[in-house]
This record gives sequence, structure tokens and C-alpha cells, in this order.
Amino acid sequence: MLAAGAAMASAGSVQAETVLGATPPAELNPAELPEADLAVQAKPADQWTGLLNRSSLLGDMGGLRSSLGQHGITLGLSETSEYLSNVSGGLKHGGEYHGVTTLTLGLDTQRAGLWEGGTANVSVLDIHGDSFSADHVGSLQTASGTEAEATTRLWEAWFQQKLFDGKADVKIGQQSIDQEFMVSQYAGTFMGTMFGWPAIPSYDMTAGGPAYPLSGLGVRLRGRLSDQLTMLGGVFAGDPAGTSNSDAQQANKHGTAFNLHGGSLWISELQYGLNQPGDGQLDDGKPKGLPGTYKLGAWYQTARFGDQRYDDTGLSLADANSSGNAAQHRGNYSIYAVADQMVWRPAEDSSRTLNAFTRLMWAPGDRNQISFSANAGVTLTAPFDGRDSDVAGLAVGYVKVGNHLREYDQDTATANGNPLYPVRRDETFVEATYQYQITPWWQLQGDVQYTLKPGGGAVSSNDSTQTQRIPNAWVLGVKTVITF
Amino acid sequence: MKSLFRFSTCLIGMSLLANFSLAEDTLPFLQGIKKHTTLTTTVPDNGDQNPYALAVAPVSAGSVKAGDLLIDNFNNAANLQGLGSTIVNYHPDTKQLTLFAQLPRDLHNCPGGVGLSTAMTMLKSGWVIVGSTPSNDGTTDTKGAGCLVVLDPNGKVADVWSGADINDPWGNMAVIDRGDKATLFVSNAGFGVGSAKGNPPVMNQSTVLRLELDIPAGKPPLITSRAVVASGFGEQADKGVFLIGPTGLALGKDDKLYVSDALGNRISEIWDATTRTTSAGIGRTLTHDGMLLRPLAMTTTPQGHLLVTNGSNGKVVEIDPETGKQLVARWINTNKAMTPPGNGNLFGITMNAAGDGFYYVSDDVNTVVLAK
Repeated sequence: MLAAGAAMASAGSVQAETVLGATPPAELNPAELPEADLAVQAKPADQWTGLLNRSSLLGDMGGLRSSLGQHGITLGLSETSEYLSNVSGGLKHGGEYHGVTTLTLGLDTQRAGLWEGGTANVSVLDIHGDSFSADHVGSLQTASGTEAEATTRLWEAWFQQKLFDGKADVKIGQQSIDQEFMVSQYAGTFMGTMFGWPAIPSYDMTAGGPAYPLSGLGVRLRGRLSDQLTMLGGVFAGDPAGTSNSDAQQANKHGTAFNLHGGSLWISELQYGLNQPGDGQLDDGKPKGLPGTYKLGAWYQTARFGDQRYDDTGLSLADANSSGNAAQHRGNYSIYAVADQMVWRPAEDSSRTLNAFTRLMWAPGDRNQISFSANAGVTLTAPFDGRDSDVAGLAVGYVKVGNHLREYDQDTATANGNPLYPVRRDETFVEATYQYQITPWWQLQGDVQYTLKPGGGAVSSNDSTQTQRIPNAWVLGVKTVITF
Repeated sequence: MKSLFRFSTCLIGMSLLANFSLAEDTLPFLQGIKKHTTLTTTVPDNGDQNPYALAVAPVSAGSVKAGDLLIDNFNNAANLQGLGSTIVNYHPDTKQLTLFAQLPRDLHNCPGGVGLSTAMTMLKSGWVIVGSTPSNDGTTDTKGAGCLVVLDPNGKVADVWSGADINDPWGNMAVIDRGDKATLFVSNAGFGVGSAKGNPPVMNQSTVLRLELDIPAGKPPLITSRAVVASGFGEQADKGVFLIGPTGLALGKDDKLYVSDALGNRISEIWDATTRTTSAGIGRTLTHDGMLLRPLAMTTTPQGHLLVTNGSNGKVVEIDPETGKQLVARWINTNKAMTPPGNGNLFGITMNAAGDGFYYVSDDVNTVVLAK
């Protein structure tokens, strides 16, 4: 009855004091009382309102973000921090902290009142802490994709324009191509470096290629050939660092070298979306398979690349009579394939999905340190009820040392009269991880890694006899990402 | 002549009453759509985000021109749900976006304040009625019961309606507008909904409320009667999308009201919608499952088909209410950052003034799109 009476009331007739605090008479069914939230009072929103529920820690930044938004500008700021510790094997036990702060400014030309379809992006990195893998593990597949030399550097600075009604776009400027090429959607969950930018480009492209923390000037074209097929292609400065210093990150310490010497890098990738809808696609309701993405790509770099075994006179570089100048090869190249496939979900709208990925790459073994790399793994999103944004994963990585480098090691053994000198062949890396989403803006990740034959089975620097490989290593890690 | 006159009067009447035509069901409306054009960002100067309701102005009044598209925002600048307080106006002729109204967050007589929902309409008399499903922290933990707010055509608050039968007026409105009188249907999805923490229960307490309005010349509408015509739909607090409950309402032939029952994954039909004095419960099932995946907002095509947006993927589904058959679906948001693509991105949908296309919001990128 009370509900019916209140229902006929106009604004303000239902007063809070009738709802809360009073004990209902015994004959009144509490279910018939008006809802308690009729008495909820609005509270003014301030900078800290809803801190645990919003997508970024600083929200509107006291009005800064919305003010910038009026001019089409978006501001992104995030901090990634990691602590990794070698607990067994490797080169040295113990841990290191490192992290990166990323500041990104984006401009949408349409929202800025200019023209349609234009996007500009500038990002700056502040990399801090100490690198871990080289000193502690000695692995090829390093423990974290965040590891880099401490500095503050310009990362990307590019402009992208949509063309032909959005069917194509062109991107010009300083780019980090690991953001678009060879990307595996599901591999990105893992901390290991090679699940991001893989081993072959990392070791075989000059200075590791235009990829984090470096970037290179270039032009990239993307065309949507159909709802399923997309073609990516680009040409970039072949040496993102400049060659004045053998340490690429030192040579281009602040990301402002804008080097155009050292040849050019041509790269192309064909992407196929399986069971993935296109905008405007009609659906007749027939069951579809699970979505996947498959990519085939290749790159070619113009420049000269030193042989991994022979010098310019045909002698092994390990030979005492070698000139020490590696024989030169014209150009370098690689082919690769990437597959991401959802393999199970209990229902179409379920957050819980089981996903698999793999990436395979090949490059010639005469001029490259790594001639084959592969990684594969599975991820499970929403592994527990109520944890929709968490991800658990298990992955494995494998790299094969190029045949000329392997033979160089054999030559070294012979030259030194040390038949027990370890020859580098391959390295296997296993990682288990769990990403826990504390709040929408704060992610915590625990990680366990095992490296079999670190460095490809390289000789341990701790071994004076030069006969022992670096011991297999266990690494524990924790990572946190905060979006401000 | 007399019989012809009668026939055309009948046609006009039916069209006015139910936005229905007698056209034969031919090709699905969605098959005739050729292009999706992003018209505008929906973010006003105060940074409000997450566009929800869409309403095409039936008349020119105040700052609104006939054919203008009103869009409200559910989130504030910090992207907190249930704190959006603005309605923007997209002018198709000039392609400009202006602010129509910015309501005070602590609007008097609106329990919990203002967080503008998918419930919004503009009447021929120029009054705009919009629902509030407010929160103090972006979750249902602090939600208020909300209200319906009456705005004049210049965006000024003229009245606030709340009461025990209004609890988070959530879904898009179905309206019969006769000028000086109107019938308004609105769903309430807040009764008994608590925190979204853990695994929140489904509460079967959601209602569809019918409000009869009297609209004296030059004065705000007055509620002359109110009746719950349907009740017992599922509703649930949700960490991601605030709450899930019946969202779409549309009127059809034979005095039927269609309700998108999101949690039931079905479209329900309520008979005698304008005349019944008792609740029809959750109504009869017109269609369920199939291409529907958490059906949300709903509108009616000129041939009388229902267009329903899915909450859990980026599809709009066309349904023939005569047969209950799901004719076809069209992907209108394929953002692959979500699983399935477009999950959680679609909300408001409404036909354009010409009836040859429809507007919809992509709330992942705060834009409104015209499909035609």
C-alpha cells in the first residue's frame, strides 16, 4: 500500500526519513517498503571520486584531460615497474629493479577542428633501474621486454592519415615497428622479451631494428583488402641508432638521432582474420567458429652484414691468422608467420577464453646470430569466477643459433686447443605467468621463468677453464603496471 | 472519396501510434544499409563520456531544430558510470555539436542525483524527458533510485519525477505522443540491485512503468496516471557495465509493447500495453537466443521490424514482430579490443528523421554513427 501511495506522488513526496531508520510495524512486509536507494544523496564528484573503479588513477587530472580533449588531444601516462631475481643457475644470483614511464600525446585532427582521419602521436620514455638478464642470466631470450638502458628518450613521433574512406591509411615519421609488425595478441601477456619483439629481429636486424626502446624514421602503408585480409607494408631507416657506437642505445641515447644511414628496412605482412567480422557484415545466425588471426610476413634490409664465421680472406674469424674483418654479405632477410587462435570458450559472451599462439621465424645462418626462433603458448582469460580481467598463461620460446656462429664456436675450440669449449646451439625458455587486475588502472603480474642452456649453451664467464656452459636458470619476477 | 479518406486517416493514425506502416514485409531493413558514417564525437566541454540515449527531435523548439539528434552521456570526465550529466545536440544540417543541457549532479528531488541513462525522448510539445540512474562512485554500490527529469527545449530543468515505482529508469522510452497528451513507457532496472562485487545475484524485480501525461499549453507535462504494465524481468549489478536489465522498449501493432530482456536474452511482448491496469509479468516471449546476445536498445523500422542492439557483441539484430523471426544481423561495431568484438559498445539506437537509416552510439570511442 505504501508503495502504491508513493507511486502516485510527485517529486519530493517520498522523503528519506520515511525510508531509513524507522523500524517497520510488525504487520508491514519489509519488501513493500520503498527501496533504500530512494534516500541516497548525490555527492559532488572530485578528483578522487571512484578511485578504485575508474580506468585511470588520475581520472580527469583535475580537468586537464577534458580540456585537452576539447582540442582533440589525448594524454596517456603509465608506469611499468618490475623486479626480477635469478634464484638458480645463470651467471649471478640476485635481483634488479627496472621500469619505464611512458608519456603519450595523441591528436585527432577531426576533434581538433581540422580535417577527418588524421592522427598524430608523440611518446616519450623514461627508462629507469638496471638491466637484469645480461648480468644475471646470460640468456638470449631475455627475461623482460621492458629492460633497457636507463635514459629519457623520444620514442615515437608519427602522423597517420586514413585514406579511401578508411580502407587504407598511411603512417609517416619515427615509428617503433614492434607496435604493428609480428605482433601476437596472446603472446603479449608474457614478460619475456621475445614474446614481444622476437629473437630474430632483435638479434639479426641492425641495432635490433626500429623497436622498443628505439624507433626509426619511415613510412608505413596499410590496406584492408577485404573484411578478412589486411596488408601492411613499410620502409624504415635500416639503422635506428647510428653506427658511431657499438651500443645502439648509447648511440641514440635520447631517441633524437633520426639516423637515415645504414640502409633501409623493407617489411611487409599479410594478415588474415578467421571468423572475425567486418564492419557492416551481415550475419544469418549460422554458427561461426572461434576467432583467430594469422599473419605471414617478410623483411629485407639493404646494407652489408658481416659473416658470423669467416673473415674477408676466407679464414675463420677464430683463426689466429684472421684479419678480424668479417666477410660481408649483401643484405639480410627473414620470413615469419604468426598465429593467434581462440581454442575454447564456454559461451560466445563468456569472458573465459582459452587461447593459443605461435610465431615462427627464419633467417639465413651465415650472417645472423639467430637463424630460427619460435614461441608458442596458451593463455586463459578470466581463470576464476569474478576475475574477468585476469589472465593466466604458459609459454615456451626457442632460438637456434645460426650455423656459421655455431661453426665459429667449433673453430674457437680448435684454435684454443680446447675440445671441451662449449658450442652454442640453441636455447629454450619457459614462462608461467598470472596477471591480476587489482583495479582497472592497476595490474600486478607474477612470473616464473626457466631458461635451458642460456645463451644457446654459451660458455660461462665464471668458468676459467672455458669448458662449462652457463647453468640453466630459474628466474622469479613481479611486474606492476599503473595507468595514470 | 470518403472511403479513401478513411483509409488514409487510418494509415496516418497507425503510423503516429506505433511508428508502423502497412508495407509488406519485403527485404530486411538491414540489408539496405550501405554505409556507416561516424558523425561526431559526443564528448562535451566538461569531458562527459559514454553516450547512451539517442532521441531525434520531432519539432523545432527552443535551441532544438526538428531532426536534431539529442545524445546523453552516462559517464563523467573520469569515465565513472552513473555520473554523466550532459545532453549534447548534434545538428545534422550544420554537422555541429552543441551542449543542450548540463544538469546539476545533485539535482533536487532526484534520489542519488544525476547519471543520465538510455531513457530519453523529446515530445512534440518540445519537452525533453530523460532518465537518471545515478551513482556516487561509478558502481551500483552507491547508486540512487534516480528519477525522470523534464527539461524545456532550452535544456532547463522544469520538473523532476521520482517515487517508489521509479528506480533507475534505464532503458530507452517508448512513446505515444498526441501533442497535448502522451503515453510514456520506461523500464526500471534498479529495484533490489546491490553491489557488483563478487558474483552479484540476478534480481527479478525490474519493471516497465507506463506514465500518462497531460501537457497543458506552455506548461510542463503532468503525470495523470501511472501503472506497472510488466514486471519481474531480471536485473543484475555488473562491474563492467554498471547494471544489466531490460533496456529496449518499442511499440508495435495491436497495442503490443516489445521489451528487450537482456538477462533473459529474449524479446518479450506485452499485450494491451496502453490499456492494461495490471502487470503482464515478463510477458510472452517473441523470440529468444539465436543472434541475440544480451539485447539492449531497440527501435522500429518503417516496415515495423524491430532493430535491437546486442550488449555482448557489436551486432544489431532485425526481428519481424509478426512472426518472431530473427531476419538478419549486421555488425555495426567490430572493435576487436573487446571479446567478442564490440562487446559492451552498443547502447542507444534510433531511426533517423527520414526513416532510411538509423543512428547508433559507439560508446567505446564516444561517437555517434549514422547507418544508411
